[in-house]
Amino acid sequence: MSDFFTVALLTAILRSATPLVLAAMGGILSERSGVINIALEGMMLTGAFFAVAGTHWTGSPWLGAAIGVGAASVAAMIHAFWCITLRGNQIVAGTAINLIAAGLTAFLIQLIWDRAGATDSVEQLPDLFGTVNVLVFAALVIVPLVHFYLFRTKQGLHTMASGESPQAAESVGIDVTRNRYLAVVASGALAGMGGAYLSIGNLSYFTLDMTAGRGFIALAAVIFGGWTPFGAAGAALLFGAAQAIQIEAQATSGFPISADLLVALPYLLTLIAVTGLIRKSNGPAGLGQHANAH
Amino acid sequence: MAGITRLNARMNRRRVIAASGGTVLGAAIFGNLSVGSAQESDVTVTMVTDTAGVGDQNFNDLAVLGGDRAAEELGVTFNILESQTQADYSPNLAQGGETSDLTIAVGALLGDAVAEVAPQFPDKFFALLDGVVEQDNVYSVVFREHEGAYLGGVLSALVSQSGILGVVGGIRVPPVARYEVGFVAGARTINPDIEVLISYADSFEDPALGQELTLAQLNNGADVVLPIAGRTGVGSFDAVNEQGEGFWIMAGDTDQSHLAPGRQLAAIRKGVDVAFFDAAQAVVDGNFPGGTVDDLGLVEGGMDIYAFDATVDQSMLDTVAAYKQAIIDGVIVPPADDDALAAFVPTPLDGAATPAASPAATPAS
Repeated sequence: MSDFFTVALLTAILRSATPLVLAAMGGILSERSGVINIALEGMMLTGAFFAVAGTHWTGSPWLGAAIGVGAASVAAMIHAFWCITLRGNQIVAGTAINLIAAGLTAFLIQLIWDRAGATDSVEQLPDLFGTVNVLVFAALVIVPLVHFYLFRTKQGLHTMASGESPQAAESVGIDVTRNRYLAVVASGALAGMGGAYLSIGNLSYFTLDMTAGRGFIALAAVIFGGWTPFGAAGAALLFGAAQAIQIEAQATSGFPISADLLVALPYLLTLIAVTGLIRKSNGPAGLGQHANAH
Repeated sequence: MAGITRLNARMNRRRVIAASGGTVLGAAIFGNLSVGSAQESDVTVTMVTDTAGVGDQNFNDLAVLGGDRAAEELGVTFNILESQTQADYSPNLAQGGETSDLTIAVGALLGDAVAEVAPQFPDKFFALLDGVVEQDNVYSVVFREHEGAYLGGVLSALVSQSGILGVVGGIRVPPVARYEVGFVAGARTINPDIEVLISYADSFEDPALGQELTLAQLNNGADVVLPIAGRTGVGSFDAVNEQGEGFWIMAGDTDQSHLAPGRQLAAIRKGVDVAFFDAAQAVVDGNFPGGTVDDLGLVEGGMDIYAFDATVDQSMLDTVAAYKQAIIDGVIVPPADDDALAAFVPTPLDGAATPAASPAATPAS
């Protein structure tokens, strides 16, 4: 067992956790401002696709990543418009974003590459220190930044106030609408970066539905981490570790624990976290509530 | 009640759109393929994919190849309905039954849905590739993947320096399991001490996971990996590309050397495109073999091994050819499931090439 936990396994954990960490930071911003964001999956998928398309168009993976992040922000803007301005149901809006992202990316692959299901290969974002992609380090830097923003800046505290009690926040002059728009669009940007990591950080192309539920797992990490940046990042690392360990277990003959069980473990942990058996999971009190009608 | 019915109708419609994703729109692009056909036919053929969908670089894309050929050579109208989730199988098949003469379900996972939907359209034809449904209007085609995979295992064991191979599977449906056990049996025939690492993604559509599964196998000493995992398997090519020299892909279903130039040892060929075309032709010719099952292996040309890398030398090619002939002659019967593999006694042919990895070179575990 001593040679089981190797550098290779540790970097595999980081690789598996990075898209979850980035999307989870987005989830925290959106939900802390009071907007439920089950659209993380669709925003990641949008970011993953446009990162490849952008690299294809510009020839630069950096510009590609920026275009991916921008496109996911546009998807988030639609979510924000529906949830905040139109005061629509936030779950329905999120589901719609996810379905639109799946359909639109499938269609655009055919439009741009004239084939179905997968794009051509494009240039990847560079790796640092061997096999660790630059976006892995970006994720590690973003976590404390989100923490600092939420808990140490006026803007961040206003965002959280908008999520705890939109009516009370408005009554003291906080612009809930503006704060929520900012938070939701930022969540799209971060989820888009997570998607870009998958498509041009880890791999070098986009395939249909390649996010494979990671947006939902990121949302589970938000809940598991009690809506705090460090908590959610820890949860994402735990989920990444569970995946990396089951992968290593399958590739190691005679590993004592069933790989199927290890695959199920992160989801089981989330379920336990949600039921509050480990500790109480309290979301922002104003989650899903609209501000006062004007 | 009326409100509920209307809601259901709306939800169904959305599901069909969701099921087909961009494909309803994309169908227009595919539809164009039938323009300019050599021959006109009023037969419509609809393909329903499994969740891996078009663009998986192997199984589904092979079926599309057969459909394109049918459109071109027979003049049939060829449509594709993609399934995003397993819940889309039945609605997509029913849509195929309503709109076309022949609906071809591509993939073992669609078997139950075919059994459910085909009786609702008794005057229409259905075909199931990779599974068996015994009904009068259903033609089933299964492949003896283990025969092709056995040859893949033989060649991989000959080439492997480490004496460790890998298999990366999508979901362990019967055709995937046949690939796996056939590959293991072939490898053991050449090198009884060979180790085969076997990993499953439980998904046919997660290339990032496929890459990680493959990297872990390579890190644990595997130097030839067989992915049988749809789009998940595309990630295996990335992993092998990353490791470079000395690491190989044994491709499943079809030649995918464009995904890893110079790193694909060979490809195990599965005649999905031929089976698809033949089914379409039978409908055009009016002799659709409804109610029958075709079981295709090496002897029928349904399976083969091809697209060898230039580094595969003549003695290896001769050895592979000898084992192929032995299977065709019935001298060797590759195992098709776990029980058969457990009972399988490897019987090396005389005068065959010897493995690169001697048993002594195998690292102690």
